Amino acid sequence: MATVLVVDDEFGIAELFDALLVDEGHRVLTASNGKHGLDVLAKELPDLIFLDYMMPVMDGAAMLRRLAGDQRLRKIPVVMMSSIPEAAVAERCTGYVTFMRKPFNVTDVTDLVQRLIGQRERLG
Amino acid sequence: MSTGDTLDRLTSGVPGLDVVLKGGFFKGGLYLIQGTPGTGKTTLAHQLCFNHIANIGPRALYVTLLSEFHARMLQYLGGLSFFDESKLPDQFSYISAFRVMRDEGLSGLAVLIRREIIAKKVSLLIVDGLVAAQRAADNDQAFNEFMHELQGIAIATNCTVVLVASTGRDAKHTPEHTMVDGILQLSDHSFGWSTERALQVVKVRGSDYLRGRHAYRLTQHGVVVHPRIEALLEEPAIPDKANTERFTSGERHLDAMLGGGLVAGTSTLILGPSGVGKTTLGLQFLCGCSDAEPGLLFGFYETPARILAKSHQVCKPLVGLLESGAVEMLWQPPTKGSLDACGDRLLAAVRRRGVRRLFIDGLGALHKAAESIEREASFLSALMHQLRAEEVTTVSTLEVNTIIGPNIKAPIGDLSSLAENLVLLRYVELRARLHRLISILKVRDSDFDPLMHEFVVIDQGVVIDESPQNAETIMRALVHDDAASLPPKRQPPAVG
Repeated sequence: MATVLVVDDEFGIAELFDALLVDEGHRVLTASNGKHGLDVLAKELPDLIFLDYMMPVMDGAAMLRRLAGDQRLRKIPVVMMSSIPEAAVAERCTGYVTFMRKPFNVTDVTDLVQRLIGQRERLG
Repeated sequence: MSTGDTLDRLTSGVPGLDVVLKGGFFKGGLYLIQGTPGTGKTTLAHQLCFNHIANIGPRALYVTLLSEFHARMLQYLGGLSFFDESKLPDQFSYISAFRVMRDEGLSGLAVLIRREIIAKKVSLLIVDGLVAAQRAADNDQAFNEFMHELQGIAIATNCTVVLVASTGRDAKHTPEHTMVDGILQLSDHSFGWSTERALQVVKVRGSDYLRGRHAYRLTQHGVVVHPRIEALLEEPAIPDKANTERFTSGERHLDAMLGGGLVAGTSTLILGPSGVGKTTLGLQFLCGCSDAEPGLLFGFYETPARILAKSHQVCKPLVGLLESGAVEMLWQPPTKGSLDACGDRLLAAVRRRGVRRLFIDGLGALHKAAESIEREASFLSALMHQLRAEEVTTVSTLEVNTIIGPNIKAPIGDLSSLAENLVLLRYVELRARLHRLISILKVRDSDFDPLMHEFVVIDQGVVIDESPQNAETIMRALVHDDAASLPPKRQPPAVG
């Protein structure tokens, strides 16, 4: 079982992650923007973060920079998500492990979680 | 910049919309686009954003409350020509504010909107899903306060804010209507088996606009508005001139019957049953075109291929003019497009080439496209008036339902507002033979030949008998059913 943080402003996305991953035995934390995401991280460290790019208050790029600047947080693998192409996101963001283009298939999410959590466990 | 007593305009870039708005939105204004589902509100809102960042402002922001997923919206937009993916995310971005609204109420939503406009230097903001905000309000007063706050944000940041709301079929007057600077209503109207989309500006503070409904289409280029022609041309930009120059009709004897040809800048309507020779006569009229006097054939029922084939058969001089480009052919399938889209296309083609001779083949198609007789009459009257003002000499054909018989009923009323000249072609059946007769019903402000003439359609086109004698004999025999009064075998009228 892993704890996954989903940071996304769009109503329905975090709810979808929650429904999918809880069924797989994981725990899901949610936040509606980068600032809110950092607040959640101040209380609890997840095994994996799904981070949306376009958000109000603090967008995905800004949150990623904050994660990179924090020794405690930089080790958590981050999956960037967006409805815009990865190339546009990659120009503005570094340090994420993979990218997921919206809209995505539910199996993409569960497969990705399984793969990244497995990698993390193998690396200790 | 605003000069203090006037507000700067923000053109929408949406074809036809700025004409309806007489210049576009006001910068820093608060506007509402409302309409029933499927009327293109979201498309229009995105089109405003992409036109804005392409031509005017640095950034547009699209805030959703409870509407489609952003990714799905982008997928739909991908097929539209105005969409430019490279503008995301720096110049155009989405945010969802639903959670904030749900958790922090409308005041939290207003704070979020203000912060985002300032932080992202947004000059055009869309808020899609206003109904969700209305439902989230504790009462009307709370919603009014939210709207008032939005207006304050728009003014203070000089950011134009467009709210998008889905309504039922009978949109009622609600509090937000009094709080916004302008309202655009999108709707779908049925008439017969057809439907037509219509945009209506319900209100614009501080500006005149074209009142009433205007047809619009949802195309690959987004929304295209066709301002209602009679509203657009209510005050013609070009004064009507009284011409004396005469154009040949393309048939020498018809010119004589008309008192010397067609007066330049006038409109002539050829009435007659199917197959009698109306189109052929119209094609002959276009034979007077040249590079200096370009012509246009705007047809509804016969495709360009069929017109070309007909020209080869009965109007050979036109073939060369079509090939050289002196005459352009535009085909408008009668089942496609609204009345105003059709009028727009026609006027654009006339202006593009400075057309002097126009032949509209099948005016009845416009009759079918009109949702009401009143609309049809005012549309055609405005269109013809504009063509006159632009010094276009127009010949149109109109089919009558009566194939044979003395009672002719025109399918369009108020013919006198449409045409200065009325020409009637008819069949007369006498014993086992069908005859064609032509007569002039009206020539405005000019003497004309009141007698009927027989005509034939041969490989030189319509050829009118110079003498009314044959027609006289036919009509006399018809009245008296006196076969003996008929000539034993009549020769076709002399050509030339």
